[in-house]
Amino acid sequence: MTLFAGLASVVFGAMAKDTTRDRVLYGLKVFAEFMLIGLVLGWILYFIP
Amino acid sequence: MHLVKTERLQQADEVEPAPSSAWLTGAAAWFVPGLGHLLLKRWWRALLMGGAVWACFFVGMAMGGHLFDLYAEGSSTLLQVPPMIANLGTGILYMVSWVFDYGFKDDPAQAARATYEYGNTFLLIAGLLNYLNMLDAFDIAAGRKP
Repeated sequence: MTLFAGLASVVFGAMAKDTTRDRVLYGLKVFAEFMLIGLVLGWILYFIP
Repeated sequence: MHLVKTERLQQADEVEPAPSSAWLTGAAAWFVPGLGHLLLKRWWRALLMGGAVWACFFVGMAMGGHLFDLYAEGSSTLLQVPPMIANLGTGILYMVSWVFDYGFKDDPAQAARATYEYGNTFLLIAGLLNYLNMLDAFDIAAGRKP
């Protein structure tokens, strides 16, 4: 999941925004969102048989 | 309201058609992940965006993922189309695998691997990310993006 989030956020970050700083920040934000949503969904599905 | 519509129509008319080089760059970006940005001399973008696609593809293959085509046994052909379109996004990587029939077989032993579904996801995402790369390279080549 971390690898997936990292690779996807690299592409999303490189595509978006205008400045390098904005791109890096956006990539980090997307990475954090992937990880957070993945963990939340993982725990939700854990309790669903 | 009418003025806004008219302005929008004028703006739509003013959009210049993309040059043929932009279409070629887009095609190159699809065919070999990263090549479109390399042709545009966007080295870092080529390395990061193209590299991410190559990495996704090989990680997916290493995990035992399955590539989709229209000739899968025992399942509806129509259901194979969406994942096949996603897989096709990897361009030459998909074609080489198809030519050598690597990753297309319905092998129960492969499907039983714990990483099989992860591999599938990585292979699908590799293609979809490369479609994004292709659009990005096209936009840059057409002068629609800095």
